[in-house]
Amino acid sequence: MSLIQTENLTKIYGSGETAVTALDHVTLKVGTGEFVAVMGPSGCGKSTLLHLLGGLDRPSEGEVIIDGTPLATMKDNDLTKLRRKRIGFVFQFYNLIPVLTAVENAALPVTLDGIKPGEAKKRAAEWLERFSMGDRLSHRPDQLSGGQQQRVAIARALVAEPALVLADEPTGNLDTRSGDEIAGLLRDVTKKYKRTVVMVTHDPRIAAYADRIVFLKDGKVVDETNLERKGAAEKIASKIKEIGD
Amino acid sequence: MSVRYAILGLLAQKPRHGYELRAAFEAVVGGDANWDVKPAQIYTTLERLEEAGLVERSSDLGEGDEPARRIYAVTDSGCEALRKWFANGVTPEHQRDEFFLKLMLGLASGEADPARLIQTQRAHLYQELHAATAMRDGYDPRKEMAQILLLDKAIMHLEADLRWLDITETRLEEVKGQPLPEPEIRRRGRPAKGDKSSTHPPPDAVIRDQ
Repeated sequence: MSLIQTENLTKIYGSGETAVTALDHVTLKVGTGEFVAVMGPSGCGKSTLLHLLGGLDRPSEGEVIIDGTPLATMKDNDLTKLRRKRIGFVFQFYNLIPVLTAVENAALPVTLDGIKPGEAKKRAAEWLERFSMGDRLSHRPDQLSGGQQQRVAIARALVAEPALVLADEPTGNLDTRSGDEIAGLLRDVTKKYKRTVVMVTHDPRIAAYADRIVFLKDGKVVDETNLERKGAAEKIASKIKEIGD
Repeated sequence: MSVRYAILGLLAQKPRHGYELRAAFEAVVGGDANWDVKPAQIYTTLERLEEAGLVERSSDLGEGDEPARRIYAVTDSGCEALRKWFANGVTPEHQRDEFFLKLMLGLASGEADPARLIQTQRAHLYQELHAATAMRDGYDPRKEMAQILLLDKAIMHLEADLRWLDITETRLEEVKGQPLPEPEIRRRGRPAKGDKSSTHPPPDAVIRDQ
């Protein structure tokens, strides 16, 4: 079943002669538990697409249906609720609050939602532990590496148990190795924890972790590639191990 | 060439027989899917190395029912050859590229849409990158670092190839307007009768040809 469905999604900024078409009739389906990477040159509409999927912006034309609900029919209040409960966001620069600890940062969305602080922290700590951050719960962002800060941000995105995580260049500020770790972790979020992840990236290495890559250019989908995890890779790996033994 | 030095290196580690050498080679290159060496090539190379005095052979009578096998060991001059190999850099072969040929010939023959060729190749490379990443993440860095390093190399080259495809795609219109690199035709032997261009090839080219 599709968790996300867009139909002729279009976003035009400005009007008349100065109008810029950021997204041009994009029709897309993303299944539950799927990991999709969106790639393309800067200005191709990647971030606009993510904003529309997350209900952060309204389309000029076309529609976004999340979990069977068309966003266009929702009142602003309901949209805010959907964003808070069903969608988690991950950003390039983590956007953590400097004076709060890792667990407080990760607990923030549910704390704002009226869950008691003790319970909120417990849920946040569970996600942090799944991301090997159990021994960093009381660290503040400036005491953590970039990769660790992004783990906190991903825990924060998941603490309200959303079905969908939207990630905008989540590895853009990280070195290669931490970038790989974060991409692997986002893959786990889809495969181990059955959430859906849509990630914008310009990095081929990071996109290769996904199940599918959607290529955007000038606001249009120009190509799509399914990446299959065949048994082949595993077979070769086990064969190499055999030979090594 | 590399197989020859790989054999010397493996024998410098310890004396081995042919079958064992092949298995050890396969293990170090990450499997026969990466670099397949046939037993015949191992044995021919061993013969040549023996003739050149770089390895020496002794016989192992085998225990119990095992047949006698030839055991090879590296000689002093073999070690010397190996040291020379270690002392020099290695030139990678990045300009010998089948996809480049496909693209150029697609352009020249008009039999393939170059933009489509790039898309197909991109999908293929992403699939390879996905598989290599999955494999790399399956290894344990505490005891399988060699396999991880080899896959990291493959991953980095795939990334570079993907970037090159992006650049090539943006320059497709420019290259479309240009002719395929043509060979410089040099005539051999005597010019045909009545050939107006008999001053070609220039004298120095003729000298080089001879």
